[in-house]
Amino acid sequence: MKKTIKLKIDRLICNVVVATGVASVATQLLTIREFLSLLNGNEFVIAIILFNWLFLGGLGTLLAGPFSKKNASVKSLYWIATCLLILAPVQLIAIRKIHSLIFIHGSSVGFYPTLAYSLFTITPYCLLLGFLLPYSLLVVRSQIDNYPGTRIYIFDNVGDIFGGALFSFVLVYFTTPMQAVCFTQVPLLIALYKLYTSVYNVKFPAITGFALGLLVLVVALMNEASTLAPHNGKLAYYQETPYGRIQIIEDQEQFTLFQNGRPTFSSQNLNAAEEVIHYPLSQIDCVRHVLLISAEKSMISEVKKYNPISIDYVELDPAITDVQFRFGLLEKHPEMKVIHQDGRQYLAQTNKKYDAIILNLPEPDTFQTNRFFTEQFFSIARQRIQENGILSFSVKGFDNYISDNELQKISSIYRTASQVFSQVILIPGNRIFFLCSESPLETDIPGLLENKKISTSYISGYYDGNITLERINRLNHQLLPSVPLNSDFSPHLVRILLDEWFSIFSTSPVLFVLILSVINIVYFFFISKEEFVLYTTGGFTMGTEILVIFAFQIFFGYIYLQIGLIITVFLAGILPGAFYGEYLRKRGKQILVFTDMMLIALMMLFIGGITLFSNHLSGNVFLAFGFVVSLVCGCQFPVALHLQGGTKPAAIKMFSADLIGAAYGTLVTSILLIPFAGILWSAIGLILLKTISLIILNSKHETCFKTKISNI
Amino acid sequence: MKPVSRRKFLTFSALTLAGSSLPVRPLCAFTKTQGKTGSDNIAGKPFKNDAPEHLWKWSREADYSITLPGNAVICGICPHGCVLEDGDRSICRSRVNINGNLHTLAYGNPCSVNTDPIEKKPLFHFKPASKALSIASTGCNFRCLNCQNWQISQVKPEDVRFYDLFPEQVIIKAVDVKADSIAYTYSEATTYYEYMIDTAQLAKKKGISNLWISNGYINPEPLSALCEVIDAANINLKSFDNRTYQKLNGGNLDPVLNTLKTLHKKKVHFEITTLVVPGYVDDEKMIKKMCQWIIHNLGPDHPMHFLRFFPQYKLDRLYPTPISVLTNLRKIAIDTGIRYVYVGNVPDHEGNHTFCHQCGKMLIERKGYHIPTCNIEKNKCRFCSTLIPGQWI
Repeated sequence: MKKTIKLKIDRLICNVVVATGVASVATQLLTIREFLSLLNGNEFVIAIILFNWLFLGGLGTLLAGPFSKKNASVKSLYWIATCLLILAPVQLIAIRKIHSLIFIHGSSVGFYPTLAYSLFTITPYCLLLGFLLPYSLLVVRSQIDNYPGTRIYIFDNVGDIFGGALFSFVLVYFTTPMQAVCFTQVPLLIALYKLYTSVYNVKFPAITGFALGLLVLVVALMNEASTLAPHNGKLAYYQETPYGRIQIIEDQEQFTLFQNGRPTFSSQNLNAAEEVIHYPLSQIDCVRHVLLISAEKSMISEVKKYNPISIDYVELDPAITDVQFRFGLLEKHPEMKVIHQDGRQYLAQTNKKYDAIILNLPEPDTFQTNRFFTEQFFSIARQRIQENGILSFSVKGFDNYISDNELQKISSIYRTASQVFSQVILIPGNRIFFLCSESPLETDIPGLLENKKISTSYISGYYDGNITLERINRLNHQLLPSVPLNSDFSPHLVRILLDEWFSIFSTSPVLFVLILSVINIVYFFFISKEEFVLYTTGGFTMGTEILVIFAFQIFFGYIYLQIGLIITVFLAGILPGAFYGEYLRKRGKQILVFTDMMLIALMMLFIGGITLFSNHLSGNVFLAFGFVVSLVCGCQFPVALHLQGGTKPAAIKMFSADLIGAAYGTLVTSILLIPFAGILWSAIGLILLKTISLIILNSKHETCFKTKISNI
Repeated sequence: MKPVSRRKFLTFSALTLAGSSLPVRPLCAFTKTQGKTGSDNIAGKPFKNDAPEHLWKWSREADYSITLPGNAVICGICPHGCVLEDGDRSICRSRVNINGNLHTLAYGNPCSVNTDPIEKKPLFHFKPASKALSIASTGCNFRCLNCQNWQISQVKPEDVRFYDLFPEQVIIKAVDVKADSIAYTYSEATTYYEYMIDTAQLAKKKGISNLWISNGYINPEPLSALCEVIDAANINLKSFDNRTYQKLNGGNLDPVLNTLKTLHKKKVHFEITTLVVPGYVDDEKMIKKMCQWIIHNLGPDHPMHFLRFFPQYKLDRLYPTPISVLTNLRKIAIDTGIRYVYVGNVPDHEGNHTFCHQCGKMLIERKGYHIPTCNIEKNKCRFCSTLIPGQWI
């Protein structure tokens, strides 16, 4: 009987752990998306939010330290998990509401306020989440002695996988953020109710907790619309897509499309349309086939002035074109063909040749958009344009003075384009246009248009006053000859744009980096070798995941489903790995050494694969690679835990080390390694990390990493 | 291991919560409860101990400073009235206190030199279709979130690439490019006051007009001196609400209004520009109040420009101004009695042209910076002979 109760508690708590995993991963993904809609969506911000989440989770895990199984109870677990459940929708609302309270409406936010704001809003949830896992283990161990910590780890992983897959492949298509958050809390609500009512005879607290949780979820759902109301204008349309948030704000007769909180297309932006279309097309004698990668209102009408035979319009997100047509942000034309695909991937696959390829993309401040400003992309584009064809694109420019960062950016792009095209000219302005061709190009756009008898409103009136020869020559003379090229494997532009972001807000990340480094170093003095191994493994896993996604995008384009699959397999591999590790744990250090060496070998394989066999790689290779890496990483946890005695303090430290390592791995790989060193050196960096782990593991003294400070 | 006591748990939790509240500190700089600094007022502060050790070639002793005991000085150029200890730098970043003397570091070192059409300033009633040699050194006494010249307005003179162009050389350059005027523009000309006024004095002697393009945030005394040498001005009236001035720009409204009154009193030709920022400066009641103030204090003859806002610099998460809003505000201004009201940054808008306030006929047709049609002869409407305010030759 007693055994039955113990098994029942085991099962009930594992259900809670799984349900927490489901809820927390969905909440994490939604939180990140929410921040990206409110804050700058560059790689630094993404990395910071993920870092905060993981780091706080690691800290939360350590909070369970003072507790013992004698004072761990199902009751406490119930209420803590209920608080967590309630915090999920509350956090989402808080992120939206607090943002509008403390930041000036319509303004971007710099690095330190972003860091502070994200920390402030997610700290309660993350600390609690991190605390819950080891506490669950304590509660089980209060009933079942020597309950393996790995089991909790495995069930947590099951929940993570399911939650990630559920959100990425189902909920993101059909639900709003609040609906998704609330839906994914329901299994936890039920699991907690079952837990309490199975252990205790008194049902009232369980009913109270259940009712409270349900009430919060319902109220949050009912009030979601009010949290999305714009500060001014009217929300005419709202949709969450896999690629982010789409909103149409209506003010008077104007509709503006916002993507992740940033205005991208307006129904009244004729100036942009004329510049984007006429600067390149005026250069071509006969315009037959035009490719637009992303477009906005009036662009099609301006293209039509050249009487082309075909206009192909490529847009990654079908939801964007839907709303564009619906709200008059893009005109439909019989000659126009809409293609929903990653623009670069389309160009790589099509056989069609164009007279003009015109890009209308955001700044290359993410790895995803950077792919359209690399030598490799320019080469692909060159193959797809006619002999006298032209490639045109633009980046943010300047009014009267080009800052050092901007000069680096422009020079890098110019130099990169010049590697591929013999003719590259720049047209300065609030946006700087790059025109690339093998044929001679001119900057006298009004003259060219006059020859073609094409009338314009903005160019004909303002070009000569804004784009003087003086300004064009000055820009050309200022270009830096020796800036790094921007390539797929070395995305220097991302780094330059991150610098630009910092300079806009007159801040520097140096202090942040220093503090983190000091915390990291101090942390190392207090952890055992096994913890260090897990720390490096956490960093290695996250770093590898980022590298794999990055590399996948280079070769196959941004395909949401595939990328979602990659993230899922990185979670999924841990599960069988943990099982296997549990089976092998008695072989102890041998397994850790072996798995570390395997990880090094796998990363070498990755480097070899993307450099030597890039043409033969398929998407499945990336999936398989991700699975194997996470499988090997998953092996290490039970082994490390066993080496530390499998006690409660050991489990807490192991969980914590894994999370903190993952946090640092995310940050370092995203904002330091890839932008500064490129993909290959980042991979080498991860190899180095695991090499250090091996060295530490094989060092003579068991406690060599614990200093005398920790022994005081 | 010993079980944790309640006291220990509470202590531990309190420490954790206290530690986790540390991130709130940077947020406190943005809370509404703070006085001068906060999300309600983005005004800058002087930079402590930020002056260079030694002056450089492009500096001059500043005008309008007051020396205080203990080597401190007060800068008297703008209403911020920066009190600078020895070694401090002003809010505008261009002035420093070295050994108890205030110096400007923005003298003879413009970072931006262009030849622009005068309509770009915008100045529509002063020497139309002429060219202006436009210069700017770094610095600004505001912190506008949507500054389109932030690369030079929010930096120190030492942080940019610049030309070596002292006042005499500016005149030579202006003659060389056949400019009718020199415009002190782009960043905030008030912050390189000495450079501007010295150049303007030389330009005046040469018969070259001086154009002051400014936020109008200047003290009366330096303004009066400036009025002796400038021929025209465009003053940015960013809003008619002091809270908006503090929130979006980091300044105050009243000094700007005083500047407008002074320019009017001194009979300097000036035009007023208002950038219509959605949600902040598009309120019809506020604009009406603004126009009524203009009529009452300045009269109906100073041209007014409503410019369309586009996302810029830090204010990049707002949509552009709907065109009908500008059309409507223009109508409000005309109905209030302002005779010449223009719409900027919108091609092919009726508000690009000049119409006679008497007979309503089109006097100047503008296509961008081009003027295909001009019906002003000897400062008068060709149709009804009404005197049109401005300087047309």
